[in-house]
Amino acid sequence: MAKRKKISNINWSILLTILALLYVYPIIMIIFNSLKQETAITTNGAFTLPTSETFAGLANYVNAIESKGFLQSLGYSLLITVTSVAAILICCSMCAWFITRVKSKISQALYFLFVFSMVVPFQMVMFTLSQTADALKLNTPYNIWVIYLGFGAGLAVFMFAGFMKSVPLEVEEASMIDGCNPLQTFFRIVLPMLRPTLVSVGILEAMWVWNDYLLPTLVLDIKKYKTIPMLIQYFRGSYGRVEMGPMMACITLTVIPIVIVYLLGQKHIIKGVAAGAVKG
Amino acid sequence: MASITFKNVVKTYGNNNTVIPDLNLEIRDKEFIVLVGPSGCGKSTTLRMIAGLEEVTAGDLYIGDRRVNDVPPKDRDIAMVFQSYALYPHMTVYKNMAFGLELRKTPKDEIDRKVREAAHILELDEYLNRKPRELSGGQRQRVALGRAMVRDPAVFLLDEPLSNLDAKLRTEMRSQISALHKRLQTTFVYVTHDQTEAMTMGDRIVVMKDGVIQQVDSPQNLYSYPCNKFVAGFIGSPQMNFLEAGVEKEGAGYVLVFAQNRIPLVKPELEPYVGKKVILGIRPEDIHAEESFLAISEKSNIQAKVDLAEMMGSEIYLYFTCGGQKMVARVPSRTGIHADDEVKLALDANKIHVFDSATEEIICH
Repeated sequence: MAKRKKISNINWSILLTILALLYVYPIIMIIFNSLKQETAITTNGAFTLPTSETFAGLANYVNAIESKGFLQSLGYSLLITVTSVAAILICCSMCAWFITRVKSKISQALYFLFVFSMVVPFQMVMFTLSQTADALKLNTPYNIWVIYLGFGAGLAVFMFAGFMKSVPLEVEEASMIDGCNPLQTFFRIVLPMLRPTLVSVGILEAMWVWNDYLLPTLVLDIKKYKTIPMLIQYFRGSYGRVEMGPMMACITLTVIPIVIVYLLGQKHIIKGVAAGAVKG
Repeated sequence: MASITFKNVVKTYGNNNTVIPDLNLEIRDKEFIVLVGPSGCGKSTTLRMIAGLEEVTAGDLYIGDRRVNDVPPKDRDIAMVFQSYALYPHMTVYKNMAFGLELRKTPKDEIDRKVREAAHILELDEYLNRKPRELSGGQRQRVALGRAMVRDPAVFLLDEPLSNLDAKLRTEMRSQISALHKRLQTTFVYVTHDQTEAMTMGDRIVVMKDGVIQQVDSPQNLYSYPCNKFVAGFIGSPQMNFLEAGVEKEGAGYVLVFAQNRIPLVKPELEPYVGKKVILGIRPEDIHAEESFLAISEKSNIQAKVDLAEMMGSEIYLYFTCGGQKMVARVPSRTGIHADDEVKLALDANKIHVFDSATEEIICH
C-alpha cells in the first residue's frame, strides 16, 4: 500500500515537474534570446543556447534602455501601478469594511454590484470608457488610477469582504472603548489585521496593472505617454521588421520587478487566499 | 462616583423586537454586581448599553450623575472585558495594554509605569513582548483584564469573561477577579450564565428573564428567599424540586397535600389558597435521609424508591419519583443508599417554599 502510494507520488512529481518546465520555458527562452545577437534569433537559432559566436552580452539591454525611452516608460508604469494599487487597497478595504459591518439592503446591493462587475468583460465597455476618460481628463498617467480603481474594485472588495467576516467584531468594539474613532479603528486595528489579504490583493492587482496593455493603449495619449507593455510594441518596426534582441531584453527587464514583488509576497498570498475559509 | 442607574430603559431592535421592555436598576458605587440569566434574557444587551455599544431606545441611563444615553463609549470612563478576549492580534501584550492610554495622550513614562504595574499584579511580566497568539487562554484573559485595569476606569464591565476557560482555570480566575475588585475598589458589572460565578463573586445578583429583572439581592438571600419559581429554579444545583400540592386547613395551621403525603405548615399566607393548588418547592439538600432527622420530622416524611443514585464523593444525589413527580435529594454519602432502594426521606418543613401555581410568585418561605 505504502509502496503504491510512493509510486503514485513519484508519478505526480514527474508530471508536475514537466508542467512547471513548460511554464518556465518561455521565460527562459526570452532571457536566452535577450543575450543573443539579432541574427542568431531570427535565423532559426531562437531555440538554441547562446554560443560564443552568437552571445551579445548586454548589448540588447543597452539598446532597449537607450533607444525607445525605456526609463520614462518604466517611470509611468511604476507611477500607474503604485497609485492604482494604493487606491484599490485603501478604498476597497474601507468599502468592504462598510459592507461587512453595516447590515442593510444598500450594503448588500453594493456588494452584489461589486461582485457583478467582475463578470463584465472589459471589451464590452472599453470604447465608451475611453471616451469618458477623455471627457473627464483621466487620460494621463497621473489620473488613470481612477479607472483602474473602478476595474479592480470588484475582485478587491470580494476578497476583502471575505476576510473581513473573520475579523471578530469584539476587537473593533474593544478599540472603540479604548478610545478610537472609526478612522482610528480602521487604520490602527482593522487594516493591520488585514495584512495577508492586503498583500494578496496588492500583488494580484499590481501584476494586472503592470502587465496591462489594452487599457492604457485606449486611454492614454500614445504620443506622450507609453507604459512598458506599450513600449514593447514599438520594437516592431515598419515592414514587419522586429528588433528581437532589444525586445527580449525589454521583456526581461519588465518581468523582473513583478517577479521580485511576487516572490517577496508569495508567503502572504497563500495565507490571504486561504484566510477566512475556516474559523481560526 | 460611579453608580449606574437605569430609569425605564427600553431596548428594541428593528421595529418591534423588544428585548428589554422596561428596565429599572440602581448599581451602587464600588459594587460587584452580577447579571445572570439564561441565554437571550437580555443580560449582555444591558451590559452593552452601559458600554455604549448598543443604543438605548428609550429611558435614561446614568453613570454617576451623568446621563450617558448619547455619550460615545470612549467618553464613558468604562473598560470592558469580552468573552473572546478581543485582544489586538497584531500588537504585543505591552502594546495591547498601553493602546488605550496612548490614544488618551497619557505621558509615556506614566503608560510604562501603569502597564508594568498591572502586568505585575496579573503575573504577566515575562509575557509583555509576546503577541496574543503565543499565550494560553488564561494568559490572554489576564491581558484583557490588564488592558481594562491600566485605564483606571470608573466602571468595569465583564461579559462572560471566563466561559472560554477550562474548569480549573475558571476557578482560579474567579478568585483573581474577586481579588481585583477588592484591590481596585471600582464598580464591577459582570455578566454570566453560570450561577456558580454569580453566587461566588457578586455582592448582589440580578436575575433576568426575557429582559425583565426577576430579583436583585445578595447571593444568600437569592438562594434562601427566591421571589418566584424561576429564580428558585435558576439558582442552586441540582435545581430546586417543584411539586404540585393542594392546601388544606388543619386546626390552626395548614397542610400541603401531595401524593399520600400531608406536610403541616403554619403560614397564615396560605389562607387564601385553601382548597386550591400551589407549587411546593424544596431544595435537594433540604431533603434528609439521616435517622435522627427522620425521627424528629415524622410528619414530613415521604416514602420513595430511588431510581438513580449518583455518588459525588462526600454526598449522593438521589433521583426518585414521588407521586408521579421527579425529585432529587442530596444526602451524605455515609447514608449508603443505592439505586432501587426503598427509602424514607424527610422534607425539612422550615425550608419549604410555596409558590402560586398561576403567577409562580412566592407565597411563603
